[in-house]
Amino acid sequence: MDFSYTDEQDAFRRELRAWLEENAPDGWLEDPELPDDDAERVEFLRDWQRTLADDGWAGVHWPEEYGGRGASLIEQAIYREEMARINAPPQINLIGINLIAPTLIEVGTEEQKRRFLPSIRSAEEIWCQGYSEPEAGSDVASLSTSAEPNGDGEWIINGQKIWTSYAHVADWCFLVARTDDSGKKHEGLTVFLVEMDQDEISTEPIHQPHDDRTFNQVYFDDAVASEDLVVGEIDQGWDVVMTLSAFEHGSTSIYTIEQRYLDLLEYCRTETRNGTPLIERDRVRQQLADFDARIQAAKATHLRNVSEQMETGTPGPEGSMDLLVSDELRNDLLNFAVNLQGPAAALWENGHNAFDETSGYIRSYGAWIAAGTGDIQRNIIGERVLGLPKDIKSETSHRSE
Amino acid sequence: MDARLTEEHERVQETAREFIESEGGIDLARRQIDGENVIDDLWDELADLDYTAITVPLEYDGFGEGMVYLAALLETAGRYALPGPLPETAAVAVPLIRDLGTEEQRSRFLPAVADGDLRMSVAVYDDETEPLPGSIQMGVERRGDEETTEFRLEGTKTLVPYAAETDVVIVAARTRESQGYEGVSLFAIETDHDAVEATRMDSLDWARPMYELSIDGLTVGEDALLGPLHGGGSALVTAMDRFSVAGTAMLVGAADRAVELSAEYGNEREQYGHPIGRFQAVKHRTADMWVDMQSARSLVYYAAWALDEDEPDAARAAAATKSFAADRLHRVFGDDIWNHGGMGFTWDHDAHIYLKQAKSWRNFLGSPEANRDRLIDSRLAAERKR
Ligand SMILES: Cc1cc2nc3c(=O)[nH]c(=O)nc-3n(C[C@H](O)[C@H](O)[C@H](O)COP(=O)(O)OP(=O)(O)OC[C@H]3O[C@@H](n4cnc5c(N)ncnc54)[C@H](O)[C@@H]3O)c2cc1C
Repeated sequence: MDFSYTDEQDAFRRELRAWLEENAPDGWLEDPELPDDDAERVEFLRDWQRTLADDGWAGVHWPEEYGGRGASLIEQAIYREEMARINAPPQINLIGINLIAPTLIEVGTEEQKRRFLPSIRSAEEIWCQGYSEPEAGSDVASLSTSAEPNGDGEWIINGQKIWTSYAHVADWCFLVARTDDSGKKHEGLTVFLVEMDQDEISTEPIHQPHDDRTFNQVYFDDAVASEDLVVGEIDQGWDVVMTLSAFEHGSTSIYTIEQRYLDLLEYCRTETRNGTPLIERDRVRQQLADFDARIQAAKATHLRNVSEQMETGTPGPEGSMDLLVSDELRNDLLNFAVNLQGPAAALWENGHNAFDETSGYIRSYGAWIAAGTGDIQRNIIGERVLGLPKDIKSETSHRSE
Repeated sequence: MDARLTEEHERVQETAREFIESEGGIDLARRQIDGENVIDDLWDELADLDYTAITVPLEYDGFGEGMVYLAALLETAGRYALPGPLPETAAVAVPLIRDLGTEEQRSRFLPAVADGDLRMSVAVYDDETEPLPGSIQMGVERRGDEETTEFRLEGTKTLVPYAAETDVVIVAARTRESQGYEGVSLFAIETDHDAVEATRMDSLDWARPMYELSIDGLTVGEDALLGPLHGGGSALVTAMDRFSVAGTAMLVGAADRAVELSAEYGNEREQYGHPIGRFQAVKHRTADMWVDMQSARSLVYYAAWALDEDEPDAARAAAATKSFAADRLHRVFGDDIWNHGGMGFTWDHDAHIYLKQAKSWRNFLGSPEANRDRLIDSRLAAERKR
């Protein structure tokens, strides 16, 4: 057992840190603030992604032949940690970079890799993930969006997706559709790469509780995908769906949570109530210490998981533990931070407090649901790790398989 | 970086498992609970397997291993709630003697421990209700001239694990008017002195006997003093961190077993025409038990490693380990009882053995609250330097 970093890993960290010092957006290190205006924000984030990609700091985990650095899982953890340390702007094409590209690298054709990977890295083309439908979320295999061949080498897609993050800015969609409904639910599915800029596709933003509109309804009305845009085999899309899901469960946000924790610690040290710093209150100290212990545990668990995965090669069900632990931690931490605001917790933005987390707190409920709910992750652990009997209804659920 | 146990650690766990199972597994703990003393025989066998030598330095016939290796072994011991002062001896006393002892003390104690001829424990508490470090008083009188120095110890220590089953107890005594861990001296006291008497207490965890140790005017020479006079405090703090991590490693092994038992029962027991593990209330509870167990295990591994490597955050990691595990593993064992229904609430089922161990561990060597205080203080100190 060895929790220390190798010279090579230390060098990776130093190089990245130095690069960030030089190249973080202007003024970001002193005051990390995204533009308020939606369009400006998207431009800002695309710029940032280009900057990262130009110097090889996007998609670091991809193989070198596709523009990555072939970073090991430990180096990816370092990457996340360093990005969190400077509170780096979110990566606008995160779904493309972390989920879709690795899936294409694993199961896509050479042509698809050459065509799509470079523009994913630079965020020249932004991607969304079209799994969920109004009647199919956790049980994604029960989806009904259909794709039929038109005889001219094209597939015609009809149906509706929902909660599709970034569809409003996306250029491409990684879409799963039913191509055969004669067999079992999870047979007869196919994955398509679908260009969003077609008249036959429309998106409608959904208003979220934290007042953002970052996910959408997406309607497909005779939309087209050519046959070279099929990923994997026709009717065998379930395997592809599963490959992506494994990547979805296999990353962690513990480092950004840790950063929020450190901010909160600083806040409690300086913020006073009735003349006494918050940190001197017993309940505050105890609660902060408990978060500290949980964060330490989550980080060490993540490092154990990736150490294991470096040997086995594929993300295992243990990723569900990382996900569960960090989703719960984030929500608890932000809930506590809001409670500390005192009566000002009744305000959406309370400008007189340095630690203003109301919207982040509301947003954290979404994270709990997004990559498969906590219930689904518990099914995965119960069934795949502990060998408990399969849930009656989850035998064909993508997130549980 | 490879945050997993090595193959060697895993091999040790496997051998230990085979050995303990061949001896009856958790039945050993049950026999101890029933009033039999299984420790003497068991200890000889542990020594044959070299487990007693793990943390003893190479030059004293040991293996020179640290907390990581020991934690791996103790995890397996914990699966069976294995009785015996292995944590006290290997995690606490041996490193203290290694770090503080004179050449003479090391050669007197360490090879004997490695051989299995000497078992040790540690006495810190004076009062069962006082939190540490308030309670390390003990009357010590120093006398002597230039030639010889002697100490006269007088008083009673309480909550001393396995005192009657050990040969030497390291006694923490306040030798100078002071607060906290200041002015504390450590003495290695042989338990077979006439002036030393161990009285069994009615411990919650019967597999793990606790004693009151009364020392009635015992005069010892300087060779019983371990480390600097008045200056044993900081070593004692580290020793207790090692103890915390070692004890928690045992609980993690127990929790691992509890999760396994729940999962087995979830497949076996049927109600309403289904194995109960199909019901998500049971499945999800069991999944949560597993997550808590793994989280505690991660903390143990990291803290053990940090202690071995003398990392700056070792004390904080130990405090996190103790505070997290004390509350959450306790819940894991309770949930195991729950998952087994009426069956779980029987003397025959193992869950109560683990639960009692966890409960008696909760406030021992510092409550979770006290550990959280330490943790946040050290975090704040570190952050100021950031
Ligand atoms: C912020 C956010 C972003 C998202 N982004 C995307 C995206 O980009 N692309 C995309 O395809 N989808 C996306 N989603 C959708 C997300 O994947 C689904 O919401 C999620 O899988 C749950 O499905 P559902 O909403 O249909 O809930 P349901 O499946 O209807 O679940 C409702 C409740 O029932 C529980 N439940 C359901 N099945 C089981 C079961 N077998 N056992 C126990 N409990 C169960 C759930 O845990 C939940 O509590 C996003 C969601 C959110 C909140």
